[in-house]
Amino acid sequence: MWICKNKLLFKVIFSSLLLIFLISCSSDSGEKNVDQFTNTSEKVLSEKKNNNNIVSAGKQLNVLYSDPPTLDPHRAQDSTSAGIILEIYSGLVSLDTNLQIIPDIAESWAISNDGMKYTFKLRDNAKFHNGKKITSADFVWSFNRAANPATTSITAEDYLGDIVGVQDVIDGKTDKISGIKLIDELTLEINIDSPKAYFLAKLTYPVSFVLDSENVKNKNWTDSPNGSGPFMLDEYLIGEKLLLKRNPDWYREPAKIEYVSMNLAGGQAMAMYENGEIDLTGVGMADLERVLDPSSDLNKDVVIAPLSFSQYYIGFNVQKPPFDDKYFRQALAHAINKELIANEVLSGMVKPAYGILPPGFPGYDKTIDGLKFNEQLAKDMLAKSKYSNINDLPRLILSVPGTGGSAGLDIEVIIEMWKQTLGIEVEIQQVEWATFLQMLNRQELQFFSGLGWIADYPDPENFLDINFHSTKSTNHNGYKNEEVDKLLESARIEQDLNNRMQMYNNAERIIVDEAPWIPLWFPGDRYVLINQRVKNYKLTPMSVPKYSLVEIVD
Amino acid sequence: MWKYIVGRLVWIPFLLIAVAFITFILGRFGPGDPVEVMMGTKYNPVVAERIRSEMGLDKPVMVQFYKYIQSASKGDFGESFRFRGRSVSSLIAPKMIVSAKLSLVALLISISIGLPLGFYIAHKQGTWIDPLIVSFSVFFMSIPIMITIPFLLWIGCLKTNLVPCSGWGGIFDSRIIIPALAMGIPGVAGMLRIMRATTLDVLGQDYIRTAQSKGLHYFTVSTRHVFRNSIIPIVTILAFSLAGLLGGAFITETIMGIPGIGRFSVESIFNRDYPVIMAITLIGATAFVIANLMADISYSIIDPRIRYK
Repeated sequence: MWICKNKLLFKVIFSSLLLIFLISCSSDSGEKNVDQFTNTSEKVLSEKKNNNNIVSAGKQLNVLYSDPPTLDPHRAQDSTSAGIILEIYSGLVSLDTNLQIIPDIAESWAISNDGMKYTFKLRDNAKFHNGKKITSADFVWSFNRAANPATTSITAEDYLGDIVGVQDVIDGKTDKISGIKLIDELTLEINIDSPKAYFLAKLTYPVSFVLDSENVKNKNWTDSPNGSGPFMLDEYLIGEKLLLKRNPDWYREPAKIEYVSMNLAGGQAMAMYENGEIDLTGVGMADLERVLDPSSDLNKDVVIAPLSFSQYYIGFNVQKPPFDDKYFRQALAHAINKELIANEVLSGMVKPAYGILPPGFPGYDKTIDGLKFNEQLAKDMLAKSKYSNINDLPRLILSVPGTGGSAGLDIEVIIEMWKQTLGIEVEIQQVEWATFLQMLNRQELQFFSGLGWIADYPDPENFLDINFHSTKSTNHNGYKNEEVDKLLESARIEQDLNNRMQMYNNAERIIVDEAPWIPLWFPGDRYVLINQRVKNYKLTPMSVPKYSLVEIVD
Repeated sequence: MWKYIVGRLVWIPFLLIAVAFITFILGRFGPGDPVEVMMGTKYNPVVAERIRSEMGLDKPVMVQFYKYIQSASKGDFGESFRFRGRSVSSLIAPKMIVSAKLSLVALLISISIGLPLGFYIAHKQGTWIDPLIVSFSVFFMSIPIMITIPFLLWIGCLKTNLVPCSGWGGIFDSRIIIPALAMGIPGVAGMLRIMRATTLDVLGQDYIRTAQSKGLHYFTVSTRHVFRNSIIPIVTILAFSLAGLLGGAFITETIMGIPGIGRFSVESIFNRDYPVIMAITLIGATAFVIANLMADISYSIIDPRIRYK
């Protein structure tokens, strides 16, 4: 009986295995079709490598990246997309790795005396990736496309809105921007509505880039874009990888490496770096100590990245009680010991912020002291405010975006400091991102944190005007101060650089003192690991084209 | 039989429209707005209004729904709100394939352990082997995947370095081992217990006694009579598991960094990417309805006594 039963067991297992084998074989055929897709492309890649002497495996930079929401420069508005778009496409002017405006497709330009007419002279040798020459007509077409409502560009108003006639195109009144004139094949004239010093900086943004009208006609054209940048899109598998290939005929100095391979599948960056799968990675708090240890193998790869042009803050809705009282806001600001939190809680990864503009940013004024930690002053300010009797305070709810369950250690400590110094109780409410944005835009939040402002271009206007001018929709605080408004408005068109920065400094002083938001942190030293074989990889506080400068030595 | 199948098929479109309608309404009236998410903190009401009108979001909800159903019925699920300029189908197809591969391997693990083991312990009823194996399988089923994955990672990746810690490389890549095991092992208990119950049920039937008393070889009785009859209820589970293949596994995919549809659906919900959410819901619902129908039909093929009128 035993033998018999065992035999049965054997047969059952055998037949199940056979069944599984059959199923897996039949699923294999479907499998191969899909996998072939990836395998062929890799095979093609390795064949290319074998056929061409310049191209060696060592000339490929490997990075971890995420899927770009779009590769259409006119529709992009996020830094993930921009990081790739800046390498594939180009425009009249560009930013170098020191964030200076440099000629790109335009080899030179002239600005009229009134500061409202820009005449660009294009390079004679600028070509799209397919070899087609870039002329002023391409730029005229591209600007018109960017502003056309059918393009649904989110950034057209902000970045092109200064150009005469752009608003009419956006509004659908016409489809030609009246302020952009084609002078000849290589000369382009752009008229703006008032002499704005930051206009040229805005032209470095992707929405001003040139596109090939023939290419854009194709369906899903961003899968094979005919750009004009130092790299061409060689392969893009959503969620897997994106491969950029050097454009050998670039009109400026062509890239030194052959490929940039972006891993889009995600993974543990540190582990991948140590395995040699990627050439660079940021260092998180968890790995910091290990990496900074001089005896560690990784220590020689450590590079300190420049501060990014951003700031984290707590924003108040100054229209809602109790935050309608300046003294109450000041009391809260004085009660926070930022130095303690930055050093003890956040391991020195951030720098305490007292002003609005980040260090190194144009117009940064180190004499702006801000509201420093001072318990006595905090208590005095509270006593001076309408809400000196804290028992009469409304329920205070600080909203933070996210779904992680924690508002962040820094916020938790700040709330504890408020409680200890001022006796004020604050509740935390975590709101899912989309809902948070809706409440923020409708100014429904009492006060909020977990947000950072990141500059889009290096001009104080992009920090102060956009966040604190009373008419801006990005002023989520409901902050309104006529003097500040006036200063910001005159700074927009002031031609003298020193006067202009002085105006911004004056506005910043008032804003910091009135505290519609409490500046918390500028990102501090960011440690990055870069493999020794990679040379000349520039870390910049903003997205700029940079892969063409990279060299790889073996 | 045919009348029954046709009758069921006729109902499918109505069912799907109902599912689509509920999903559509929930998206449109829930908090959050795709254009706001697109613009992030740089929201500008004038621009938002323009984008909304260009995307047709300013039209009455019923008009939007009608237009959606019109193009969806032609297989056009529209353009993603988040991945601008990309068709929904081009986004979700590769991710569904990834999830399907993963779930298929997980399902094979459940079946290849669960079925033979269930069949075996049914024959061992009354001995200590039966309760021992059942309790083991239930134990493994009860451990949440949030614990199994880190545990498997700790053993397989951190301690022994046998497999990479995360990522995806298809079915024939070592990176599939941990997620497939983590998803497949809890399924063993279900397969095993149903297989055990049905086998016991079949073993007690008169026709098995008849077959045995006819003097048929034990193996013939087991395969031709017992196994074939016990497997019917399993078909139902299999059909639904197959429908689940397209749904993906959110937790596993997120922890293991697998670019599957489960993780993508959740990201799409956070980004209010309505066209993607709609397409995933509709495809999932279709798969479910069809799997259900196929299960019903296959009953009558496996067991000719089952007839539909």
